[in-house]
Amino acid sequence: MTAEAPQVDRPQVSLSKGDVQRSFWLWTFFSHANYNYERLQGTAFAQAMTPIIRRLYKDPEEIKAALRRHLVFFNTEPNVGGVIHGAVIAMEEQRANGADIDDDAINSVKTGLMGPLAGIGDTISQGTITPILLTIGIGLATQGNILGPILYFVLEVGIMLGLAYFMWMQGYERGREGVTAMLRSGLLDRVIAGAGVLGNLVLGALAAQFVTLWIGWHPVTGTVQDQTQYFDIQGTVSSILPGLLPLLFVILTWWLLARRRVSPILLLGVYVAIAMIGAWDFFGFFSTSDCGSFLNAFGACAVPTPSPGG
Amino acid sequence: MTRTLSLLRSPKIVAAAISMGIFGALLVAGPVFGADGDSTGVSLFQALLIGLGYYLSNSPWLAGNGGFFGFYRPLVAGFIVGIILGDPVKGAEIGAAINVLYLGFISAGGSIPADPSVAGWVGTALAIGGGLDAQQAVVFGVAVGLVGTVIFFTRMSVDAVFAHWADARAEEGDLRGVAMMNWLPPQIFLFIISVIPATVAVYAGSAVVADWINWLSSNAPWVLKGFQIAGGLLPAIGIAMNMRFIFRGAAIPYFFVGYLLFVYGRTFTPQLNLVAIAIVGVALAFLHVHLLGDRAVQQRGTVR
Repeated sequence: MTAEAPQVDRPQVSLSKGDVQRSFWLWTFFSHANYNYERLQGTAFAQAMTPIIRRLYKDPEEIKAALRRHLVFFNTEPNVGGVIHGAVIAMEEQRANGADIDDDAINSVKTGLMGPLAGIGDTISQGTITPILLTIGIGLATQGNILGPILYFVLEVGIMLGLAYFMWMQGYERGREGVTAMLRSGLLDRVIAGAGVLGNLVLGALAAQFVTLWIGWHPVTGTVQDQTQYFDIQGTVSSILPGLLPLLFVILTWWLLARRRVSPILLLGVYVAIAMIGAWDFFGFFSTSDCGSFLNAFGACAVPTPSPGG
Repeated sequence: MTRTLSLLRSPKIVAAAISMGIFGALLVAGPVFGADGDSTGVSLFQALLIGLGYYLSNSPWLAGNGGFFGFYRPLVAGFIVGIILGDPVKGAEIGAAINVLYLGFISAGGSIPADPSVAGWVGTALAIGGGLDAQQAVVFGVAVGLVGTVIFFTRMSVDAVFAHWADARAEEGDLRGVAMMNWLPPQIFLFIISVIPATVAVYAGSAVVADWINWLSSNAPWVLKGFQIAGGLLPAIGIAMNMRFIFRGAAIPYFFVGYLLFVYGRTFTPQLNLVAIAIVGVALAFLHVHLLGDRAVQQRGTVR
């Protein structure tokens, strides 16, 4: 089906830096423009290769073959994964100049690298950089500072574009062997390990800022000299460690999601139900406490002022 | 200069410039026009802007990354909705609160558990239009975000058709045609299926939400209190989703350090923010990797 590239008597063709950059920008903009279940980023890969194909191949049959070659299923993380495109562009350039690189070689590089780089790339971009910057932006925005979203946007998009351009050019310059060597060197592993430390610290602080769980309930323990005595659950817990309950709640949620594999959607429903039941004015009806519900929205319910009788 | 002119000949660049230009101009004009209409609620014009912003967040026009990593995030979306509705600070606060739930959001291989962009654009608009505070808005954002996945899955299914159109162009050896099939038809389709529902939801929905909240506050105030309590509980899910990937191995203790640092730091200086924590984090990360060397990377885990 595919046209074999003639290997003799062809003029040398080489790509300019502009061609490689043009391809990079086409991918950066349109990698997910036609994201679909059948080929995922397949047509986007082909679009990104159009400046390369236009420069390297003049024979219409070779152009058709190159388009078919790059319209197949493809999916990776678009920024870090650009290293694949760089390596493939380098291979196409060698092929056009008569090197013995067939369709299978190019396909195997694409399909062989897209999985591992999707894993590494998603861990770096969606799993580490994004949540850390989001966490900082969210923290600022919550304090009423509009620099939060602006700072996040500028840093995130700047870092992602820089990372993507770097990986793309690395792929083109090093070629397929260089990319494989880079994956083995362990540098990426160190970056991920360091990002894990930073991510945990920031995430812990975010949990302290956003997760709130206040016990409103003050059970009556008895009456002393005509004054109702209450047991202050929230106050007792807070005296051990401020914020102990939300911390335990986050760890419980993590355990349910990660260890027990509970669906997050189910958990969502359960937590909303807990909140609604917790907000119900049980004790207003039974008048055992001035704090009407199990849970409270903002802060501890003040210990009720002692009232005569019970 | 010639390079700039040659760029203008590309229909893609022109389309990107026009869509961003229109949105930018409307963004400035939004609060002005909005103020002319009835003082409460969201005007049709504002709703249309929000629908357009939602489309942009899923489109390629903001250099790809500016969409998925920028406008797609409720923090950014909420801020822009706030600008459109005349209260950027409140928009940013609501967007931030909704975004905590999606801290663990990872889109991998064409599957998403919920749609943060719908939660951010439509959820924030409904919350501001309905007069909810940031904590109450979280429940709304989640609900809208779950419904919004319908648009994503529709798009992922229908777009496969355009891949076959691209195949047909490839058989002609038509480079320009193949490139065009990747962006023009799918983006027209996405524009239609995202702008219309989002605009209608914001325009019609905000009045409904406002009425509903009014009714609740006089008849069942505990429901609103429940929303607030849920706004404190649900972030635990977003944070825990993210912890699945990084709360492991030698990095685990740092989570508790960060938590306590913030709890106690806040009692000393209420101005303490996460920028300071992040700087400490960079220092600790450097020390950790430097001191542990290769042992630091043994608990490596990736998203997939």
